[in-house]
Amino acid sequence: MSALGHYLEEEGIATVAISLIRPQTENTKPPRALWVPFELGRPFGPPGNPAFQRRVILAALRLVERDDGPVLIDDFPDDDPRAQPDPAWELPSVPAVSADASAETLADQVAAEIAMLRDAHARWVAEHGGTTVGLSGLSMADCGAYVAGWLRGAAPASPREGVSGPLMLRFAVDDLKAYCLEAAASGPARPSSRQLGDWFWNRTACGAAVYALRAIGLASEDDRLKAVLGNFMVPAARVRGTG
Amino acid sequence: MTRLTDLPPAQAKRLAELECPAFDTTPWASGPALSQRRVAIVSSAGLVVRGEAPFRGGDPDFRVIPGDTKPDQLLISHVSINFDRTGFQEDWNVVFPLDRLNELAAEGAIGSVAQTHYSFMGATNPVLMEPHAREVAGRLKQDGVDAVILSPV
Repeated sequence: MSALGHYLEEEGIATVAISLIRPQTENTKPPRALWVPFELGRPFGPPGNPAFQRRVILAALRLVERDDGPVLIDDFPDDDPRAQPDPAWELPSVPAVSADASAETLADQVAAEIAMLRDAHARWVAEHGGTTVGLSGLSMADCGAYVAGWLRGAAPASPREGVSGPLMLRFAVDDLKAYCLEAAASGPARPSSRQLGDWFWNRTACGAAVYALRAIGLASEDDRLKAVLGNFMVPAARVRGTG
Repeated sequence: MTRLTDLPPAQAKRLAELECPAFDTTPWASGPALSQRRVAIVSSAGLVVRGEAPFRGGDPDFRVIPGDTKPDQLLISHVSINFDRTGFQEDWNVVFPLDRLNELAAEGAIGSVAQTHYSFMGATNPVLMEPHAREVAGRLKQDGVDAVILSPV
């Protein structure tokens, strides 16, 4: 991000970067940056809070009026109020997943879970006017089937021309996660990302399937598959034993 | 609140020590008051308009996001899974604050909002991104943009 700022500024365009990782910004010395104490993925703070977001963006943009640079790093003072859990949120009820479930059982449970969350996801779409599901271009049922093929060890061919199997798997898993998390966040409660993540990674068949895919990748003798499934399935904070 | 200390130690160390390019210069572009600036968003979230090619690992190029894009048309295709996406799912302004910019322009707090915005994907070699960044700079200048807010994830 800081490198982009450097290149644009060299071309004569004033830039201000939101900084999520202050030590990194201090190292790269962008022309102007506003450090924010928010979670990675939320550079402008809480969703659904226009007044707060407005304060962040104005604090950032006002740095272009300062003349005490180059290399200006300011700090935004307030934490994201949506980082707090919402006690009113109810975990969506899904069947428990056995730790030693076979690939076949897990594949069946993924398909059942997708069907079970359909109404909740439709509610989300109605509440928010859309969905962020769509990278794979597949229906959710087809996403589930594609993931199931990998779980069974089949490494199925990609259904999209020009998209490799492992890349298609990444897109399908991204869609699966988005679908489950949107379904779980439907309704009046405002769960934190941690609440949603705890549910997805610890309670759902889809989460268990993603862990299983990572394990398949790590056991593979194919270095590319090992890298893709090992690094781009389960977040570092959710890899069991580290977090 | 999430700070580096809230992340797994290995991830925090990797992020803090991420190798960054060293530049010989410290460019600084000045300009008019904020109320007269034309503002664009340049994101590194791997944003794509639905139906366009998602970013693949290492892609150094950019995607165009027209100013009339609707929230349900924008997707994150960043290769990294180590950042929250539920905020963006609920409200795109968390990553791509176009609604906020349009409001600020309507109030006169900023001059105007760019016709077009851009996204790169972070976690990409900055040296390979440079020609693409300079191409974006040319497009921004054609649009009259004189302030860019850089939005990471």
